Amino acid sequence: MAVRQRGWKKFFGFYLPLLGFTVFTLFPFYWMFITSIKPDQHLYNLRISPFWTTRPTLEHYQFLFQRTLFGHWLLNTLLVAVVSTAISLFCGILAGYALARLRFRWAGTLGTAIFITYLVPQTLLFIPLTGVVDFFHLLDTPWALIFTYPTFLIPFCTWLLMGYFKAIPRELEEYARIDGATRLQAMRKIVLPVAIPGILSAGIFAFTLSWNEFLYALVFLSSPQTKTIPVGVVSELMRGDVLFWGPLMAGALLGSVPVALIYSFFVEHYVAGLTGAVKG
Amino acid sequence: MAKQTLPESQVGVVSYPREVAAARPWSLAALRRRLATWLEDERVLFVLLVAPTLLILVAFLAIPFFWGVWLSVSDKVVGRPGAFVGLQNFFTILDSSIFRRTVQNTFVYTGIATIFKLVLGMALALLLNRHFRFNRLLRASMLLPWIVPTVLSTLAWLWIFDATYSVLNWILREIGLARLLWQLGIAPSPRGFVWLGTPGLAMGSVIAVNVWRGFPFFAITLLAGLQTIDPELHEAAEIDGAGGWARFWYITLPLLRPILTVVLLFSIIVTFADFQLVYVLTRGGPHNSTHLFATLAYQVGVISGKLGQGAAISLFMFPVLLLAVILQLRYIRRET
Amino acid sequence: MSQQVHTSSREAPGLCRRTFLQMAGAMALGAGATLALPRRAPAALRGTKLHHLQWSSFVAPADDEMRRMARDFQKATGVEVTIETINMNDLQARISTAIESGTGPDVVQMFWNWPQLYGPNLVDVDDLAEEISRRDGAYYAQLVDSCKVGGRWKAVPFCFVGNAIVYREDLFQQAGITRFPDTWDAYLEAGRKLKAMGYPIGQAFGHSLGDPPSFAYPLLWSYGGKEVDASGKVVLNSKETLEAVKFCMAFYKEALDEGGLAWDDTSNNRAYFAETISATLNGVSIYFVAKQKFPHLAKVSNHAPNPAGPAGRYHMHLTQEHAIMKYSPNVEAAKEWIRFVMQRDNFTRWMEVQEGYSLGPTPYWENIEMWEKDPKLDPYRRLAQYSRVFGYEGPPNAKAQEVFAKYIIVDMFARAIQSGDAQGAIAWAESELKKVYEA
Repeated sequence: MAVRQRGWKKFFGFYLPLLGFTVFTLFPFYWMFITSIKPDQHLYNLRISPFWTTRPTLEHYQFLFQRTLFGHWLLNTLLVAVVSTAISLFCGILAGYALARLRFRWAGTLGTAIFITYLVPQTLLFIPLTGVVDFFHLLDTPWALIFTYPTFLIPFCTWLLMGYFKAIPRELEEYARIDGATRLQAMRKIVLPVAIPGILSAGIFAFTLSWNEFLYALVFLSSPQTKTIPVGVVSELMRGDVLFWGPLMAGALLGSVPVALIYSFFVEHYVAGLTGAVKG
Repeated sequence: MAKQTLPESQVGVVSYPREVAAARPWSLAALRRRLATWLEDERVLFVLLVAPTLLILVAFLAIPFFWGVWLSVSDKVVGRPGAFVGLQNFFTILDSSIFRRTVQNTFVYTGIATIFKLVLGMALALLLNRHFRFNRLLRASMLLPWIVPTVLSTLAWLWIFDATYSVLNWILREIGLARLLWQLGIAPSPRGFVWLGTPGLAMGSVIAVNVWRGFPFFAITLLAGLQTIDPELHEAAEIDGAGGWARFWYITLPLLRPILTVVLLFSIIVTFADFQLVYVLTRGGPHNSTHLFATLAYQVGVISGKLGQGAAISLFMFPVLLLAVILQLRYIRRET
Repeated sequence: MSQQVHTSSREAPGLCRRTFLQMAGAMALGAGATLALPRRAPAALRGTKLHHLQWSSFVAPADDEMRRMARDFQKATGVEVTIETINMNDLQARISTAIESGTGPDVVQMFWNWPQLYGPNLVDVDDLAEEISRRDGAYYAQLVDSCKVGGRWKAVPFCFVGNAIVYREDLFQQAGITRFPDTWDAYLEAGRKLKAMGYPIGQAFGHSLGDPPSFAYPLLWSYGGKEVDASGKVVLNSKETLEAVKFCMAFYKEALDEGGLAWDDTSNNRAYFAETISATLNGVSIYFVAKQKFPHLAKVSNHAPNPAGPAGRYHMHLTQEHAIMKYSPNVEAAKEWIRFVMQRDNFTRWMEVQEGYSLGPTPYWENIEMWEKDPKLDPYRRLAQYSRVFGYEGPPNAKAQEVFAKYIIVDMFARAIQSGDAQGAIAWAESELKKVYEA
């Protein structure tokens, strides 16, 4: 749909709302940024305008890297997010394909069952879950998160990919089968390549969620150098009644940059991927 | 097929002479062949494909979940063995005014936040679906709220709503509105509002942050849906004289319905179980007017150590949600 | 890695081992032959690893000092202690999971009366707690009520994080007040004048574990109001409570900053630095930060204890204790470590880096040299004696902790302020209390 309106109508109907959305969405980020480069004396001074600073400083960023283990946290978070996303995608692809394509009596029920795992409240289950994680001797290792994050990533991946696989014409697969390919080969060589946008969007979704997770990371990890960004930043920079606003906001910004970069590369694919899911 | 199995059977040579291996029905080559035919059976393949998912979900979700269900019908306290008490916990929490308040809060929170996320998300999707410069950049940046770690972005909001340093109050003061609102008796002081300290405002603020965080997801998902709609449909309708609103109502919306239901369902469930946001912003205050199921369950189960009651609180809505989801999914399946 | 990052520049490792040995000798002598002090067997402990979980202190150098002690302890005994610091609000999530799964830190820092809550899962430390008490004198009442569960010491008292009123002398003088008010009524009177000048008093009433309860409970007690009496019966709905609530409503309206209902522990610090309030009840953290970053404010600030009410003067400080988890395989090493931390030289240094933020567990620490350094901190010195733990004066147990976690007392005041209905707020709180105490 091309923009066909003109003049003031276009302004009020298009640019103004768009501007509104941009301000609402991005203002907190501007706020994080400006807080992260303000010296403390300016931060706490009500008499000067809070929107900019005349004395920008990098001291909060320095603090973040020199006085905390931010670099470690960043790498840990990255590792956990990448691996748990990979696992979730692997499981989601297989399960999504099976649920969408294979005839099996309990397929419908199973799909529902996988979906309703979303209803299981996380806030208290971390306590029994710790027992399970300890049973596998995973406490205080990244594996604790790598194996538990998929519990809330797989359901979404499965459902998204189910929709996508359903949208791919069955004939494509059947031609390959007539040519002598096994089911698995047909899936790998025919279905998966077509489904790549869908897989990408599921992957981005999963990556974001594991990047953000707080509670499991708080409970399962104890060594300072194994923590993830959200937990590390909160543990080290919220000290009772003194919040280190500068470094906190610097951490928040730096903590979102990697994901933001990935998004800007993939956003078109992401939208395309979801499009596939909708058709199904 | 035979070619492919060859290298594998050579591996077998390491332990068995080739002839022996071939003669045995359980040799690797034979096994592989049987596996191949076996895999052609849809039921077998199905089980194999869902196995990894089920394995992870059972180990790390089902076991803790059933433990949680047991907790909710026991008088378990941290570090002490619990005994079965039937539905006692559920009666106890129902008797608490804090819990009843929490139920109300959760519904208000989920309801209002979802409506806003839906409406704003839809509006943004419609805007982004047009062609204009920087379209791509804008799409990517609109997703930012959704991708920052929640705890950290919520801290930024805490700072925005701060009682003393609130930038919102600063703006109200600078444009002279704060004094006016104070004189009209709307704001409590000429310095502006106490965002997180007045029950209604606190709930409003918390909802605003939830909407801020959640509507980009709606927008981008719905945008994906919009792109599947054939532009010719719109053009045809336009020729027939349908206005913009009518086209939206009779073409866009019905076509978006499948994805809308799935996204709504996910969003409602996640909003219903929200924890981090309230935990960081208000911890349920002022006097419990922003407590949600999850924050109250945490307070009772973890801070007070009453795991049984905490589990009862967090599972209280489970049967209702379960029913709603099953019906909804059945409906979706019938639609498609 | 963390130790490298947090390395403090104030080290003097040589000194530490020597003093450790001296202390060990002195303690053995002082304890005498009648004491069944466990013979130290460093050889057996060598190689043991301890995991110590505590909050991220408001005063960061205190954490560095703990890590310094850990290094010295390792040199002296061969026991490696890892100090993990997390946000105070997240400690209980970790403790609960550790207990339920039977694995986690060996030594945990507890707050307030948590030992009552987790008692059955903690190692008895009677020997250690009493040994220190014989050296330094009897513990303050609040610590005894918090740590002694059914007659046994379940945690070793560590310290108080004191709170006092920090106020602007210059503003008080401008308002014509030369001496800090000694009663709540006089404080209200002063607050009226200060608020009229545009500098109200700051006080938080939000859901936050520090400042709001530290104000609400002592106010209630100083008017004679109580959650429960000594027998454990709920007696909140009383003439005394009504007086306290009514005072609070007037205090809020006429003397306090209206923002308080939303404030959490951090808000009054910021308001003080923004120079929008003239006084507030807080830990030394405000003064501490002011000295570093807002020296002009530090110069005109001073401290005072809570005013007294008809029933006396009260405080509710945050207390900290060290507990050893029952599942820990390293109980002996853990005891040795706590003993090392409580050694006079170590504990003194730890107090010194905090410049008054923490108070010792017994009156002995009221008289150490540190207090001479800054006369403005003098009021803190003897503050611990006024302090009680929530649930006072009922028998110590975990129920008061539940009332505290539900913010019932804080909310009672907040409700009254917001609704203007004192009786209604008290009745609500009473019914919630009964559900906890009579369940």
